[in-house]
Amino acid sequence: MEELIQTIKNRIDLSPEAENYFYSISKEISVPKGSVLIREGQTVNKVYFVKSGCLRSFCTDKSGKEHTLQFAIKNWWISDYIAIHNNELATLTVECLEDSTIIEFNAKEVNGILDLFPEYEPFQRYILERHVVSLQKRILNQLQLTAAERYDLFLEQYPNIEQHTKNYHIASFLGITQESLSRIRVKKANK
Amino acid sequence: MKALQITQYGAIKDSLAFNEIDKPTIQANDVLIEIKAAAINPIDKSIILGNLQDLLPIPLPSTISYDVSGIIVEKGDDVTNFEIGDLVYSRVPQEQMGTVAEYVAVTSLAVSKKPGNISFEEAASLPLAGLTALQSLEYAGIKANDKVLIHAGSGGVGSFAIQYAKSKGAYVYTTTSTTNVEWVKALGADRVIDYKTEDYKTIVKDADIVFDTLGQNYTTEAFEVIKQGGKVISVVGPLDEATAHLFGMADYKLPEELTALSKAKAAEYKFIFMHPNGSHLADITALIEDDKIKPIIDKVYPFSESIAAFTHLASGRAKGKIVIKIN
Repeated sequence: MEELIQTIKNRIDLSPEAENYFYSISKEISVPKGSVLIREGQTVNKVYFVKSGCLRSFCTDKSGKEHTLQFAIKNWWISDYIAIHNNELATLTVECLEDSTIIEFNAKEVNGILDLFPEYEPFQRYILERHVVSLQKRILNQLQLTAAERYDLFLEQYPNIEQHTKNYHIASFLGITQESLSRIRVKKANK
Repeated sequence: MKALQITQYGAIKDSLAFNEIDKPTIQANDVLIEIKAAAINPIDKSIILGNLQDLLPIPLPSTISYDVSGIIVEKGDDVTNFEIGDLVYSRVPQEQMGTVAEYVAVTSLAVSKKPGNISFEEAASLPLAGLTALQSLEYAGIKANDKVLIHAGSGGVGSFAIQYAKSKGAYVYTTTSTTNVEWVKALGADRVIDYKTEDYKTIVKDADIVFDTLGQNYTTEAFEVIKQGGKVISVVGPLDEATAHLFGMADYKLPEELTALSKAKAAEYKFIFMHPNGSHLADITALIEDDKIKPIIDKVYPFSESIAAFTHLASGRAKGKIVIKIN
């Protein structure tokens, strides 16, 4: 939690009261590999900040195959924001790919910070903009880059991620088959 | 709910019918699966024809088949390892048979999460054939560099066994017919023997393991190609004595010819009776997700055409598995 507070303090002046509020609404938890934090079809009211480990959000299509939307490693946030924003049931599943330490927040209480401590607003905006940037990049990359280029960018964005994930997680993030991913890796290794 | 049932023993078209029956109810250890896909196996054909009446007595009518994939929609009070909404697959136990239907109740011990990288139809194709191959080759203690002969490499069990043996680093010989040579090679077999043009007995020497999926003369011939102290594993040959005793056949003796052959090579003969097992299935999930094994599907039929699926199965010409898409 200290790291998260420090990250916030690096950007804005956080009052001791606001800091206390943060502590009061958060809960640090250790979650073992394989745990499911958000389950497709159920209600969602939590958002998670990753302190260590690796989480993944994915949806399952009608045929039963998974499509990875996001990986979350140290200092990333993860949840099903569609479900929270629209007050709908989850369309995503969020699972731990390895033993992780996360900080859990109630989504409403996080938003409540803005009413109680307006000075927090620039940080909230920063987080949101960073998230929008990341999503826009992901969409544009998907539209215009080759699979090999997307894979390179992916490795830049998520260093060492391959230690934590299965190949199919990465293939399903890039929108390619596992065979294509293997071919890309072989080509890269032979360069 | 709608279910495909065996109504009598006999020819497939006369013995199967769609019936409206009650949704199954669950016990404390069960999950109720809303079925997305079912797969059919040669054992279903034997049951319909009445060949297994003594070994596997079933009440008539009974819903048919064992392989299933789908979504957990209810769970019993004692089920702790699954949640409602989990996507799963299973080879259901004999007493819970009946997967060509809209729902099936299954003990959670026989269930595993399905691999995330394949469809429901592909997942349904795996349990029975996969568990048969895995349990057979694991019984034989398969390890890297073992020489393994797998008969009928294009069948449901054979195609899985080839990939499983390769994932363990074994050297794989397999037999198949001319038309299937190329695609069986693509599964990873090191030496594909076209039984129409080649005699496998002159090619395979000193195998560590023979996996017999054909029976009859192939079971006895296995001892010609096995090494001293090797293992002959069969899923279709005669029962071995220990297995027969487990089934209550106290006086059962292995045919004399097999006893003699087995003694001469100091090679063990073992009949493997596949048993449903969720944790073995979870091992299969990991192999599929790691892309070590691919499901091989011959054809997917819609629920309404299930009887045609069984006719196709009976033809014995399927390459890989026959699947029925339920929903």
